[in-house]
Amino acid sequence: MPPKNKGGGRAKAAEPAQQEPPKQPQTVRELEWQRYYDTNPHQKAYEELGLHGMTPADRQAYLNQEYLKPGAAKTLSNKAQKELWKQLNESNLPLRSLPRPRDSHWGRDKNGRDIGDYTIEEYGAHEAKTTKLLNLFFQSQAFKSKREKASNGDGHLVGDTVQPFTCTEDDFEREKVRRKEMADLQQDLYSVKTDPYALDPEWDDVVPIPQVEPEGALAAIAYPDEYAEAMSYLRAVMAVKEHTPRCLRLTERIISLNPAHYTVWLYRFSIVKALNIAIPDDIEWLNEVSLTYIKNYQIWNHRQLLLDHYYPTIVTSPSEVAALGDSERQFLERMLEEDAKNYHVWSYRQYLVRKLGLWDEEERQSIEALLDEDVRNNSAWSHRFFVAFSDPAHATPGSHATEPDPRVPAGVVDREVAYAQAKILLAPQNQSPWNYLKGALVKGGRKLGSVREFSEQFVTNLGGVGDAEEEVRSSHALDLLADIYKEAGEKEKADLALRRLGEKWDRIRKGYWEYRRKMLE
Amino acid sequence: MPIKTSLARARQRIPHKEKPAAPKSSRPGPTKSQYAQAELAGQDFNSLTARSPAHSPVHESQGPNMIPLNPLFTDYPPIRDRLATASSTVQDDTVAECLPFLAGDVRTVPCNEHGVPRLDRQRHIKFLRKNLGKLPGRFVSLDASRPWLLYWCLNGLSLLGADVSDYRVDLIETARSMQNDTGGFGGGIGHDSHLACTYAMVLALAIVGGEDAYEVIDRRALWRWLCTLKQPDGGFRMAVGGEVDIRGAYCAAVLITLLNLPLDLLPGSPAWTEDGPNLFTGLGGYVRRCQTFEGGISAQPNGEAHGAYAFCALGCLAILGAPHRTFTSFLDVPRLISWLSSRQYAPEGGYSGRTNKLVDGCYSHWVGCCWPLIEASLAGPSSLMFDVNKTKNSNIDVHNLYSREGLIRYILCCAQDQSKRGGMRDKPSKSSDAYHTCYVLSGLSSAQHVTRLLASDGEGLMTHSKYDVLPYTGSPQIYDEEDRVSATDPVYFIPEGKRKDIMSYFLSKPGF
Ligand SMILES: [Zn+2]
Repeated sequence: MPPKNKGGGRAKAAEPAQQEPPKQPQTVRELEWQRYYDTNPHQKAYEELGLHGMTPADRQAYLNQEYLKPGAAKTLSNKAQKELWKQLNESNLPLRSLPRPRDSHWGRDKNGRDIGDYTIEEYGAHEAKTTKLLNLFFQSQAFKSKREKASNGDGHLVGDTVQPFTCTEDDFEREKVRRKEMADLQQDLYSVKTDPYALDPEWDDVVPIPQVEPEGALAAIAYPDEYAEAMSYLRAVMAVKEHTPRCLRLTERIISLNPAHYTVWLYRFSIVKALNIAIPDDIEWLNEVSLTYIKNYQIWNHRQLLLDHYYPTIVTSPSEVAALGDSERQFLERMLEEDAKNYHVWSYRQYLVRKLGLWDEEERQSIEALLDEDVRNNSAWSHRFFVAFSDPAHATPGSHATEPDPRVPAGVVDREVAYAQAKILLAPQNQSPWNYLKGALVKGGRKLGSVREFSEQFVTNLGGVGDAEEEVRSSHALDLLADIYKEAGEKEKADLALRRLGEKWDRIRKGYWEYRRKMLE
Repeated sequence: MPIKTSLARARQRIPHKEKPAAPKSSRPGPTKSQYAQAELAGQDFNSLTARSPAHSPVHESQGPNMIPLNPLFTDYPPIRDRLATASSTVQDDTVAECLPFLAGDVRTVPCNEHGVPRLDRQRHIKFLRKNLGKLPGRFVSLDASRPWLLYWCLNGLSLLGADVSDYRVDLIETARSMQNDTGGFGGGIGHDSHLACTYAMVLALAIVGGEDAYEVIDRRALWRWLCTLKQPDGGFRMAVGGEVDIRGAYCAAVLITLLNLPLDLLPGSPAWTEDGPNLFTGLGGYVRRCQTFEGGISAQPNGEAHGAYAFCALGCLAILGAPHRTFTSFLDVPRLISWLSSRQYAPEGGYSGRTNKLVDGCYSHWVGCCWPLIEASLAGPSSLMFDVNKTKNSNIDVHNLYSREGLIRYILCCAQDQSKRGGMRDKPSKSSDAYHTCYVLSGLSSAQHVTRLLASDGEGLMTHSKYDVLPYTGSPQIYDEEDRVSATDPVYFIPEGKRKDIMSYFLSKPGF
């Protein structure tokens, strides 16, 4: 290799470009430039030496090449054009010269990296993905067009016959897979998230209606994307009162995101009715939801609506009614295992007893099991009172819970009084069975005095001091005794009981005990 | 100054506090689960700091003047059963959770000589204002209750004496976006109309007040919609296809009277018959059927008595007529009072919602605000000339049927979030929210004021009874005067003046 003339840059630049050792391009940008110079062989010399610095032969070749650019040759006369083609033929110039690269045309990827800086391999992979995406897009378009033709009843020629376009289930499945693939590619290439509903060809015909908040809206929630999207599809289908299976699935989605959304629940029930869905199917789904959202309120109205709708269809079949009662009770027991005092579960249970006529031994035993577990479970006590005293077999219709009902058999009153007393003995300071006892006595038209002895066992030496010091094992016994003494005309004793409650045994309620004392007068 | 968490001292204190007054029937010492709960509580409050009493400037300066705490609020109750069940265990845990707060062992705000922390007014205001602003995604569970958020925050701010007029314009637009052409407001934009949401939205509009706010409400459509909700049994459905319960009875009564809607029932109503019933027909009877054998009120007939429903029942009856008439004609009042009174627990001082359930700050309103109406019903109308702490019609001290001190102690010691967050809460282990902030403050207002029925002009419907709500000045007053929150209307639960404004606007408005 000849020694380089380090003093004259010009001399170096004068060396023909082709003689530089070919550099392996590292990035696609470099590759592009390389290809550009490869297909514009005199460009480099022109850039470095200028038109006048070039050898006459190079200059001629360069200019000829310029004329090769689209349209340029037409500016020459016919004769000149002929000369040009002749020279080109002789000079072995590449017939297609690539345009000069623009450095900005690569764009940036989702991470902000200039794609021009990709290695050749990286770029290859990138390009494979974009090509794939484009292909998928065309296939998806083809699917849509086929589906549209199918729905229009269009036909196409197969051999000699016209066959209608059909969109099979397979087509739909393939389209779903395709959209998933497209969404993944878009996410991968451009970080663009595709909404799940846009992925589903089933929803193509729905134009989602996004929520538009007024300016300055108060307590506006920044909805998570999936909720906002599902809701905008809901608005769209509700607006046209659509009742289809896909809407049913949409309600499931929204309920899973916000079970307190009463509008969706009401809409769901209207769909169930319109589609004549088998109620047990919806109840099965509902059971799952209920166990997941244990505190939810709307679930129970929905369940009640389902039952009201279903019951008339089975009312003539006692075995079906019994089976429904069994499965409902089983489920309620499962719910109460999670939360034994869940207000909505108990409300529903009262509805159920009334609807299906479950005023039976089994109902009472199921309550007793809960009270055996926690004798302080007031919800269970309340339910027991309802089952015992509202049974239409012996209760006066419309009898008020706080008033006597002469129709209730003495046996029932005896049984309930005895039950309450037995439970009081387990934990005398538990107010639930005391309230129950009083309630049962009043319902049965019994004198409160009938439990005087029973109540007095929890109070020793009322008002006593010193050796015979007063001892009270239940303030609720003392409360009831005050009423018992009043009923018996023993006003002073009643007053003493109330006074001691306020002074010692239940001081936080002193104001109330004082009021009760005044009421003795 | 050393700042240490309350945990260590809370742990120390609990065994000492445990001095059983009735050894024979009490369980010895706190259970393991009580310690666990105290520990858990301590962790929950790790954002809190507490000053050691020995080093606290507040305690030092006020130390000599400290009034000894009433053991009623620092000891377990005198009678406790040995039998442990799930209910008694969580009850014991709750007492253990509250005691350090009641005894003044957990402090982040200054206490007065009664050992009661100050009302952290500014932080609560800030908390409520934040809840009116842009809310993060986790609030999605309240997406169907946005009118409630508006009411809770605006009413809470009013109770705290904050100006809410700057919300007027935005509230009007927000309300407009949730109103349906078919009448009523939904829980959000495009949601079905719901009686509870409509109630909350109308109250919110009444609180900001002004003709623009009132005129957003499409009264004619609202009235038509109410007619479709009215049921043959006298009650109201909460929404078309929704449940019937006593909330509907109260919400409908509020809307009808506040907006001066006609009582007439449209022929299309499910409740319509040839007898020509109106919107109020059978409503009192419906409320009556919800009273239970315990004396309290349930959501629907034959359910379990529950504090929130007691309030709805009394509010509804107080609208149907003067309480001294309607309560006695529809309810067993002695049993109701017995049940209401049983809701207050010691040592906690706060209210529970049901028998054998735990105290919760929100029942300060649901149960606590029953009392002023009970007071009015027991005393009947009284003359203006009369001393507010006595009543004319009886020698009963109607204004002290429950322990105001207990309730105020629970509210200021346990239900206030004493961290930077602010707001009020269910109990110390729970975090504050707008709902509890509104209703705890409402309960506080009720405990700090007395309500008298001034006059009632008889049997007619739609004639609003007049009440007089004045500061309660009885002793002991355990809170500083600056910590008295505003008075509120005892039936509608918006500031009294705002209630008057909206009522007189629609009463004097010609046409419908
Ligand atoms: Zn609560």
